[in-house]
Amino acid sequence: MSGRNERGTPYASHTDAETEAMLSAVGVEGVDDLFDIPASVAFDGEFGIESRSEREAERHVRGLLARNDDLTEFLGRGHYEHYVPSLVDHISQRSEFLTSYTQYQPEVTQGFLQALFEYQSMLVELTGLEIVNASMYDHATALAEAALLAARVRSTDGDRVLVPDYLLESRRDVLESYTDGAGLSVETFDTDDGNVDVDALADAIDSDAVMVYAENPTALGTVEERLDAVGDLAADHDAMFCLGSDPVALSVLEEPASVGADVVVGDAAALGLPTAYGMGLGLFACREEFVRQVPGRLVGASEDESGRRSYTLTLQTREQHIRRERATSNICTNQAWVALRTAIHAASLGPGGLVDLANDCVRLAADLAGRLDEVEGVRAPVHDRHHFREFVARTDRPAAAVADDLEAEGFGVHAVDDHRVQVCITDANEHAADRLVAAFEEVA
Amino acid sequence: MRYDQARWTHDADAESDDDRYEPLLAEKNTEEVAVDSPLPDDLTREDLELPALSEPQLARHYTRLSQMNYGVDSGPYPLGSCTMKYNPKFTEDVAALGDAAVHHDRSDESLQGTLGLMAGLQDYLARIGGMDAVSLQPPAGAAGEFTGILVAKAFHEQNGEGEQRDEIIVPDSAHGTNFASAALAGYDVVELPSGEDGRVDLEALEAAAGDRTALFMLTNPNTLGLFERDIEEIADIVHDAGGLLYYDGANLNALLGRARPGDMGFDIMHYNVHKTFATPHGGGGPGAGPVGVTDELAEFLPAPRVREREASGDDARYERFEPEHTIGKVHGFEGNWLVLVKTYAYIARLGDEGLDDASAKAVLNANYLASQIDYDVPFEPFHHEFVASAGDQDAADVAKRMLDYGVHPPTTKWPEIVSEALMTEPTEIESKETLDQLADAFDAVAGEDDETLEAAPERTTARRIDQTDAARNLRLSWQAIDEE
Amino acid sequence: MSFDVPDDRNYLESHEWVDHGDATATVGITDFAQDELGDVVFVELPDEGDDVTAGEEFGVVESIKAVSDLYSPVSGTVVGINDALHDQPELVNEDPFGEGWMLEVEVDEESDDLLSADEYRDQIE
Repeated sequence: MSGRNERGTPYASHTDAETEAMLSAVGVEGVDDLFDIPASVAFDGEFGIESRSEREAERHVRGLLARNDDLTEFLGRGHYEHYVPSLVDHISQRSEFLTSYTQYQPEVTQGFLQALFEYQSMLVELTGLEIVNASMYDHATALAEAALLAARVRSTDGDRVLVPDYLLESRRDVLESYTDGAGLSVETFDTDDGNVDVDALADAIDSDAVMVYAENPTALGTVEERLDAVGDLAADHDAMFCLGSDPVALSVLEEPASVGADVVVGDAAALGLPTAYGMGLGLFACREEFVRQVPGRLVGASEDESGRRSYTLTLQTREQHIRRERATSNICTNQAWVALRTAIHAASLGPGGLVDLANDCVRLAADLAGRLDEVEGVRAPVHDRHHFREFVARTDRPAAAVADDLEAEGFGVHAVDDHRVQVCITDANEHAADRLVAAFEEVA
Repeated sequence: MRYDQARWTHDADAESDDDRYEPLLAEKNTEEVAVDSPLPDDLTREDLELPALSEPQLARHYTRLSQMNYGVDSGPYPLGSCTMKYNPKFTEDVAALGDAAVHHDRSDESLQGTLGLMAGLQDYLARIGGMDAVSLQPPAGAAGEFTGILVAKAFHEQNGEGEQRDEIIVPDSAHGTNFASAALAGYDVVELPSGEDGRVDLEALEAAAGDRTALFMLTNPNTLGLFERDIEEIADIVHDAGGLLYYDGANLNALLGRARPGDMGFDIMHYNVHKTFATPHGGGGPGAGPVGVTDELAEFLPAPRVREREASGDDARYERFEPEHTIGKVHGFEGNWLVLVKTYAYIARLGDEGLDDASAKAVLNANYLASQIDYDVPFEPFHHEFVASAGDQDAADVAKRMLDYGVHPPTTKWPEIVSEALMTEPTEIESKETLDQLADAFDAVAGEDDETLEAAPERTTARRIDQTDAARNLRLSWQAIDEE
Repeated sequence: MSFDVPDDRNYLESHEWVDHGDATATVGITDFAQDELGDVVFVELPDEGDDVTAGEEFGVVESIKAVSDLYSPVSGTVVGINDALHDQPELVNEDPFGEGWMLEVEVDEESDDLLSADEYRDQIE
């Protein structure tokens, strides 16, 4: 029975003799004497949760997870998988990184600070914006924080946040949760064949708009073609232009700063994490003029007593632990370790590898759409645009039935409405593209 | 014990005018590539310049950076309020299983492993907190607070009191996130001064609570480590005023198996799983901040939640569902899944005996350490953490000097109710020997003069870093350094 | 420790000073305040042409570890701000009553709560 927990937590280091010595040093008979809890609210400790050895616990969790079906996923819509180099796992698991916390003592945490500084710098290059924070939770919460930033910095009292109708419902829900308290109203403008309809936006925008949002690539996988016009419209109305993207796409797509983006948000964990049920890394980049209004942590360079360049968290007066109810955000714990992984992944690919990967995302989507278009009962892509990683296809049969049947064949795709499915292809699943096409031929 | 942290140094050279520790990736090698893409030129960037290094070069770069970083596995890390416990390695292994690498948008039927684990974790957390329903969606403690506040808001709105109840009461000693989360949700914050004993002043609470009170947010034990013995009266005062009571779970590690927020009268709580349930802090995150509520509030929780499908029999099947009056979403998907897997694994390993013992030893360790140090600890009886006063010394300098003794210092200068505060939480993991070392470090520093403290640290990678320069001359990227 | 408190100014309990000139008044924070804050890293001021109100916030001063609101000792229109503080916030530390000044205001009305130098000295001792 060794390894079970009759002696309590396996992750404490006390021998019985030590425990006794400590109790007597404190001057109490037993541990119970140290708890100042009124009897009326005391609990008997019986949660009814079984204690297990490590082997049993490992087997138990492994057994639970094994009940997930073994699907080949052609799924995206905001959560993407690329092959993660082995180096990322091995380095990020080094416990000096993994088991540290926020760098409140920078002299002893230079390593993590430098890695985060390098993360910030690589995203500065990719976005063309001067400021990148050391992380938000995910794309949706970063978008929400961008809207709150817009409301703080904009000169007039407008309250409208304009979003395209391709915005994922889940992201819109988060945006609304976060902006309700600030009295903002989220309003949708029409799109045209998977791109912002510039005329519709021009009709919708007025001086009450604090922010205009667009994505590139969009949640539908389309590449935006008139972002400069979106940027101009936003600038003309003194609204902030927020663009959603990710570091892989940013490696080839137009630099956001060059089309007038004031803020870039997105899920940077497209690099660094495998699919993880939607767990992500909120990318947040913005123009320098907003630096004192940025949410989240910032790592800056400085110098130490010995005159060497060093790194430290800076502008902490923006944060909740100092400014409390007037902080720029309530965020404390963030996604720093994921940012470390993203940085290692990006560095592993290098600029050439990133461009190649991004180009693959364009080619693979176009190829697969073309092949599916030849399947009877399927029209792909629905949008006459360039695509990145994913595209929407029309199915003659109900999309839900097609998706169900594909799942029975071992493939996951999105059913997005009555007769539309969405398919995502990257370096991680392209090896199964032939089999997917064959399965579509069976079920479509 | 003698400590010297690794220190790789590079003098100014052709790549940089600065003397540095490990050079930046960009100072090692970068490459500018022309972007040649299947997309039309007007939709693409022209070029991309980023570091270009081989895998062995990167392995060495990051290994050196890791050597210049201090974690729980390096040594004691008694950072008050952060519960820096050991992170069991096997939890990393289960989170890395291929079966955990799933997309969110699959059918429920194909995700029975994930949904089963989530249902199991909801159940574990409900039992531990004495709550009826749990949402796993909030990705951090502060996000949990925000979620809980939105739940309270929805509850009051349903009762027709949404507009009227526009205040949230927060003790002056509370975590900064409480204030910020309340403000984010659009509430006015009413700050409640602590009583002389460091606890909630019932009279002040009576005076503050009323028709406008939506919520009272409280940590118990509080940030001084003191149990709010009047918790039942506190709950009555808040409930009689028509408000709800919120439990900030940051200090739950003091209470496992001894008391449950639900039994104390709390209506809503969040769990900091990276504190209480030993998931790694990862240099700042990710964590997770699940929210537990009473039955009455379950219908407002974020969507989706997970439940066992009705009449599923021996072979339980699970499904996602939308609570009837859900507040919506606080994360684009369902939070930090991999962290939740580690949480589940930790609780499944410890079980009743392990959890109860974790709190017992956490409280024993705090009390033993406090008994061994020279600094005064003004407020007692504390539980899993204590707040010592550095007296005439500057607590921030004390912290810097402690680094030279090979230990991570406590949280400093907070809570402000103790002057020059050293908020210390050793957690259950430390042995008597390590606590004695820690006490030696405290006492050695207590006996040193200001000059020595101000010159510290000496044995860490970097010497004292100029915070003022960092803030006055912002350099937030290597591009900014280059522009200088 | 003794702090500089020039006799020719008036003060607010919240540690701002006002120097009454002929047509306009100059406003800043005291030596005591700069010392309490520590190294000032940022000063947020209103724009020229904005109105300020006696007893109400007109800006924010930040050090590394603290943020303080700035309260106006007078009501009136801002006719000048100390642009130098944007790049050299340290002037507030180095010369709080001189080069570290913050606002020049065309005064409509003064605060009722102005302290004399002696009264302010009593407060900070």
